[in-house]
Amino acid sequence: MDMNEIKEIFFQECEEQLAELESGLLKLNDGDRDPETVNAVFRAVHSIKGGAGAFGLEELVAFAHVFETTLDCVRSNKLEPNQDVLKVMLKSADVLADLVTCSRDGGSVEESRTRGLVKELEALANGEALPVAEAPKAAKPVAAAPAKPTDDSGFQPIPFTFDGFGEEEKVVEQFTYEVTFKPTRELYSKGNEAALLLRDLSRFGEMGIACDMDQLPTLENMDPEASYFGWKISITTPKSEEEVRAVFEFAEWDCELEVKPAEASEGEELPMIPVPFDLSSLDDEPAPQPETAATEEASANVVKAVNAAVEKKESAAAAAAAAAAATQNNAAAAASSAGQTIRVDLDRVDRLINLVGELVINQAMLSQSVIENDNNGVSSINMGLEELQQLTREIQDSVMAIRAQPVKPVFQRMSRIVREVADMVGKQIRLVTEGENTEVDKTVIDKIAEPLTHMIRNAVDHGIESPEKREAAGKDPEGTIKLSAKHRSGRILIELQDDGGGINRERVKQKAIDNDLISPDANLSDEEIDNLIFAPGFSTADKISDISGRGVGMDVVKRSIQALGGRISISSRPGLGSTFTMSLPLTLAVLDGMVVTVAGQTLVVPLTAIVETLQPEASAIHSFGANQRLISIRNSFCPLVDVGRILNFRANQANPVDGVALLVESEGGGQRALMVDAIQGQRQVVIKSLEANYTHVPGIAAATILGDGRVALILDVDAVVGASRGQSLKPEMSLAAAG
Amino acid sequence: MAAKKAASGKLALSAVLDLNEASVLHGKLMSMRGKDIVIDASAVERVGVQCAQVLVAGATAWQADKKSFLVEKASDAFEKTMALIGISETQLIAKEI
Repeated sequence: MDMNEIKEIFFQECEEQLAELESGLLKLNDGDRDPETVNAVFRAVHSIKGGAGAFGLEELVAFAHVFETTLDCVRSNKLEPNQDVLKVMLKSADVLADLVTCSRDGGSVEESRTRGLVKELEALANGEALPVAEAPKAAKPVAAAPAKPTDDSGFQPIPFTFDGFGEEEKVVEQFTYEVTFKPTRELYSKGNEAALLLRDLSRFGEMGIACDMDQLPTLENMDPEASYFGWKISITTPKSEEEVRAVFEFAEWDCELEVKPAEASEGEELPMIPVPFDLSSLDDEPAPQPETAATEEASANVVKAVNAAVEKKESAAAAAAAAAAATQNNAAAAASSAGQTIRVDLDRVDRLINLVGELVINQAMLSQSVIENDNNGVSSINMGLEELQQLTREIQDSVMAIRAQPVKPVFQRMSRIVREVADMVGKQIRLVTEGENTEVDKTVIDKIAEPLTHMIRNAVDHGIESPEKREAAGKDPEGTIKLSAKHRSGRILIELQDDGGGINRERVKQKAIDNDLISPDANLSDEEIDNLIFAPGFSTADKISDISGRGVGMDVVKRSIQALGGRISISSRPGLGSTFTMSLPLTLAVLDGMVVTVAGQTLVVPLTAIVETLQPEASAIHSFGANQRLISIRNSFCPLVDVGRILNFRANQANPVDGVALLVESEGGGQRALMVDAIQGQRQVVIKSLEANYTHVPGIAAATILGDGRVALILDVDAVVGASRGQSLKPEMSLAAAG
Repeated sequence: MAAKKAASGKLALSAVLDLNEASVLHGKLMSMRGKDIVIDASAVERVGVQCAQVLVAGATAWQADKKSFLVEKASDAFEKTMALIGISETQLIAKEI
């Protein structure tokens, strides 16, 4: 593992620590005063500082140090984490995140921002508000400028150096770690010795150890060169977790090792043997070959009477039971905290997913050729294939689950945006998140961040009114934006709700008329007016601000969401606020689709869009206007859309009676009946991006490869429905024309 | 071979109880089953975990045999290493019952 790889791991860990930091600060902001929350926040900054020091990232270390010093005041109850303090802390967390990003990707954070916050943090640490202790000046963010402790209150800023991080550090903090260590046979056969590793570890601080002898067989059955013992160690040391791990670094492939902070199992006393700190007598290198000397004299056998009060067997059994219990506690704690995880390069997962995709296609091809050659459909091959199909499906689901991640990181990023934008426009806004553990494919997560950011900015800038306006309307001056995620019928539903003024429909309509998006005499429903904000070039902002209102807003959002195979809709109530609802696929890799024929072409219609299928009767078809047709379904009329005509597959509309109607739900909630010529079947298809391999085709979401090896296009239902709406949205008309 | 039998029922441990010594020690103990044993650990300078495993398994075997298994004159290195790897004195003792 070279330095760059280690550095990459450090940055990955920074991401986790930053998420921990932010979520802890937000908890404190919500009134949580659990000391563990404060500790978690402190630890996050401390770990970043420690790692950054090791890589010589001075700017990062300097800022983290000042931040940490102030956090230490909170930790030691010298500073009350009130709203003002937390505001500074949250801003500092943002800057820390930026510094990490800059350290990784290059670039720099505006010095004025860092300097301003350093001053604020120092002011907090200096504690004008502290009546008792005269808090010391925090270390200035320059290299190796250890601050002197100036009081007796026990609070000391932590001195630090940039080189050989921690070497000269006067130890203030002591951490207790629980280490579980179980060597394999290979560790010994490669010349390593577990006792020496334990000796090195014991030098770090006060250590207690429990030996797990459960696996030791009887004397007759044992292999003297095998490894049976494992250990559970508790060590209190000023060293970081990384340093503790480093003791085992040359043996890491030949042992099971777990190092974690000890508080998880606090209260459980382990039957540990304290390890003598002075192990200097063990330091000497072994004598070359001590075959000769020792033995003759040693045979002067003085039998030492050992007065063992406890039966050996009982004691061994007790120790074993305790060790087993400790292992169980350990496992339970680990399971409840983080679970067992491994880091895997995303490329590897992607490759696996692609390969499984190919497997699905291959399996479909195989099925097809068997069906073609097996007329009665009962051969054993056919039955075997069904099992294979099920297995393939399960493999695919499992593989997709590997890449599934909670939306939490994205949601956390949004809270920063709300803070920043609200500050800029002078509004008080609170972001409430719900369902942040809802999981979705990483590729989807990566792509929703941008549209979501845009929508959040819009909600803060346009959605929520100014505090004065809110008060005048009898509302809480602090606005609320709610961001929630949930699973619904195989998709993820993300809702962004604000309690602002709602959409000003008069103004939206006027703007649309001014911008030539609709004709002045157009008669639009409220829903249609609301949807105008998704039209390209539409912006209701009277003045262009830095935040939003550049007129490239919601249409870009809509296009990004559609590019993901998602839908976005809006509902708004005047004076009460607006809700944007995004419905996205859980994965961009596979899709359950209905394979249909349209004008001799094979198309795939996403199954999630289809409500029902029906065979239209001539009596149910009604003409409407020049070339519109409606279908009567259970006493209501639904517009009939000829897919072949919309996509320009044919010049004239087909006769509906000859085809099949697919009733689909459109984004606004209304229904449309899509006319296709025939249904071929229903199957899972692997999505192949058209954009990546060819170019965007209006009305088409993506492509796939069918069982017979042919390429089929996947229909973009919303685009087709949108195009069929015709008059109301000109840009979408052009979509149909372009198709 | 470093582990030498001083007399019947007595076993002096060699100075270095490393990986190579583990099999030797194991063989010695196996050959001494069925009688009380006193282990002289006074010359021990270094103890590896595998020899410790053999000694603990030995103590357990002697306990099962209801024979006495005692470690005497343990050197400083022996005592400290045993404490370091979490083996208590009582785990190396089998009492004759």
